[in-house]
Amino acid sequence: MNAHHQSALAQKLLFLADDELILAHRNSEWTGHGPILEEDIAFTNIALDEMGHAATWHRLRQELTGEEVDTAVFFRDPAAYRNVQLVELPNSDWAFSMLRQYLFDVYELVHLAQLAASSYRPLAEAAAKIRIEEIYHLRHTAAWVTRLGLGTAESNQRMQAALDTHWPYAHQLFVEMPEDAVLAEMGTAVSPTSLLDEWQQITTAHLTQANLIIPTNHTPPTTDRADHTDHLTSLLAEMQSVARQYPTAVW
Amino acid sequence: MDTQWPRYEVFKQDRPGEPHESIGTVHAVDAEMALQNGRDLFARRPKCHSLWVARADAITSKTAEQLAAKELATDNSWQADIDPQAPTETYLVFQKQTERRGMTFTTHVGEVEASSPVHALQQAIAIFPAEQVFVWWVCPASAVTRSEEADTLPMFAPAQDKLYRLPNQYRTVFTMQKIKRGKDVIE
Repeated sequence: MNAHHQSALAQKLLFLADDELILAHRNSEWTGHGPILEEDIAFTNIALDEMGHAATWHRLRQELTGEEVDTAVFFRDPAAYRNVQLVELPNSDWAFSMLRQYLFDVYELVHLAQLAASSYRPLAEAAAKIRIEEIYHLRHTAAWVTRLGLGTAESNQRMQAALDTHWPYAHQLFVEMPEDAVLAEMGTAVSPTSLLDEWQQITTAHLTQANLIIPTNHTPPTTDRADHTDHLTSLLAEMQSVARQYPTAVW
Repeated sequence: MDTQWPRYEVFKQDRPGEPHESIGTVHAVDAEMALQNGRDLFARRPKCHSLWVARADAITSKTAEQLAAKELATDNSWQADIDPQAPTETYLVFQKQTERRGMTFTTHVGEVEASSPVHALQQAIAIFPAEQVFVWWVCPASAVTRSEEADTLPMFAPAQDKLYRLPNQYRTVFTMQKIKRGKDVIE
């Protein structure tokens, strides 16, 4: 692997890690506030899984860059984060968080199936392992989409509002970054653009069956993973506060 | 108005070939949600191969004391429940055989064919004698939803590698001891 290829791969791992970490943090904000105790635990569990996946991607990145996982997570400023804006949007109602997690789960499953065929073995192995867990996540969130979409008039309206908000943002997941083009050429990772059709087919079929209308706006507010909303700044300020206050603490 | 969702009993099988044991209850709007909640509450830590869920109101439960008070074979009020002509269905039979184990309640011991819960209890007592049974449960098989073989990998396998979920991985006890000894835990 030459330096150019290696740096593209390290950056791709950062995309993967940051998406998972920020979404995990948003979902963890539901802990103690879930609609019922059982679901509170279930959704917290999903958040914990996603955080574990972020750690996996970060460890692979550390092998390439030497940067410690905790340093990358707790001592990196918002401008250096490379997550899509979808995952940093602040929570509102349950439909908002559940639909976001559903759209992300489908993306992950489609993506991980391809990453599992990567020519970079550590990436392929991690993707295959994470994918197994995502099968369950999707089963959970897909059931909630159906339940709320076909539930009451209010639950349907809330899901539709969530879908109208998330749909354009979700399309940023499929924007090809310069690093993606390098990796696709080398067979290390598929371009996210190649995943869009399958993602749209799966989500459209399921959302339609749940009595939800697919929005016509497919244009994400940004196509650059370096662009963030102000929401990321406040999220990281909280997430990083303890580590920055006690940088040498161990637990 | 009672806004509480229906209650489901959850039965967990640790390994293939071992019996399913009741492990606790969850609230859920349907069996699929009960299965998922059962997984998230009771199978997040290693050792689960299969889960069953059954609506709590589909289970007929009798304690040894209740059975002693009513002789199943002779009590008229119970006999009246049994119509020999009625079609039968399969019931699952569970027994609580010990008071020593804190984590489980009843254990699946087998099936009977019966026309009603009372009939199923009578059959169960005749077919599955045990030295001591504190509680009997019978439940129509049709009321039980089971995880499938294909679910084992995505639902239960990931937990096997997550040792940090085990209680002995939490260092709170150790940390609290240090704090009590007056040691500064922030190094």
